[in-house]
Amino acid sequence: MADKSKLGMEFPLYSIKVAENKIAEFAAAVAQKEDTDHIKEIYRDVEAAKNAGYENIPIPPTFPTSFAFWTGGGLLATTNAVGADLNKLLHSKEEYEYYAPICAGDVITRKMKVVDMYDRGKPGRKGWPVQVTILETELINQRGELVFKARTTFMER
Amino acid sequence: MMINFDAIAVGDAIPVYTAAPITRTQLVRYAGASGDFNPLHHDETFTRMIGMDNVIAHGMFIMGIAGEAITSWIDNRYLRKFSVHFLGMTQPVNLDDFENTKGRATITVRGKVIEKYEENGEKRIRCNIIAQDAHGSRKLTGFFVVALP
Repeated sequence: MADKSKLGMEFPLYSIKVAENKIAEFAAAVAQKEDTDHIKEIYRDVEAAKNAGYENIPIPPTFPTSFAFWTGGGLLATTNAVGADLNKLLHSKEEYEYYAPICAGDVITRKMKVVDMYDRGKPGRKGWPVQVTILETELINQRGELVFKARTTFMER
Repeated sequence: MMINFDAIAVGDAIPVYTAAPITRTQLVRYAGASGDFNPLHHDETFTRMIGMDNVIAHGMFIMGIAGEAITSWIDNRYLRKFSVHFLGMTQPVNLDDFENTKGRATITVRGKVIEKYEENGEKRIRCNIIAQDAHGSRKLTGFFVVALP
């Protein structure tokens, strides 16, 4: 069961350089392509990205999820840090706000904290309580600009 | 693609996007790309321990497919918000029983313009979005906001 004393907890800061090949790999995965030659040009060709108005190769819309998994010990470290049991965890909501483009070469700092923890459901009912944990993640680029914000909601049964 | 704010009307449908049937190989590829190595998504010796015969797709993979649907219509630099609520689980196709299992693994993304408004000095549209399998089972619902010229 998630440990409610973790409400408000801030995770350590992590910085990660956005790599071109990780963007291409992610773009291939979500477009269900066998290789990175068949993804959209903006995800594999700097010139095509610049012609489309980006400073460099941009990230696909859900790429920021990878910042949480490839830093700070990944999924298990995150669930352990809030005392949640991965085997009982359901990802129920993901909410994104985009303030400025994130591109290859950017150095992104991940600021993540536990912003809410509460029980849901009727006392006494089967499966009660469902424990809800909400994480907020802010991504800040090398110029100190807040470029992206996410709210991630997990439920633990 | 450049779409003009004035050319869009509330009620307009976004182009329907149908993804390829999801395979276990695609789940492994997505795991590597995203870094989400929860064994629930690739290891059936694990899923059987928690009472499930099959692995299931990452919810974020389905959201990624929905993101692909959006950015096949509008360049991703115009995207301002994208939020989803995850509903049903998605089992991949069984390669040894393709015809009978492809429906559950084939995701179609649909959406509709629900609002036109101005915010932060930009002309924006809000669209709802839904991803369903070929049997109509809902995988996620949500909305996205894009700024348009």
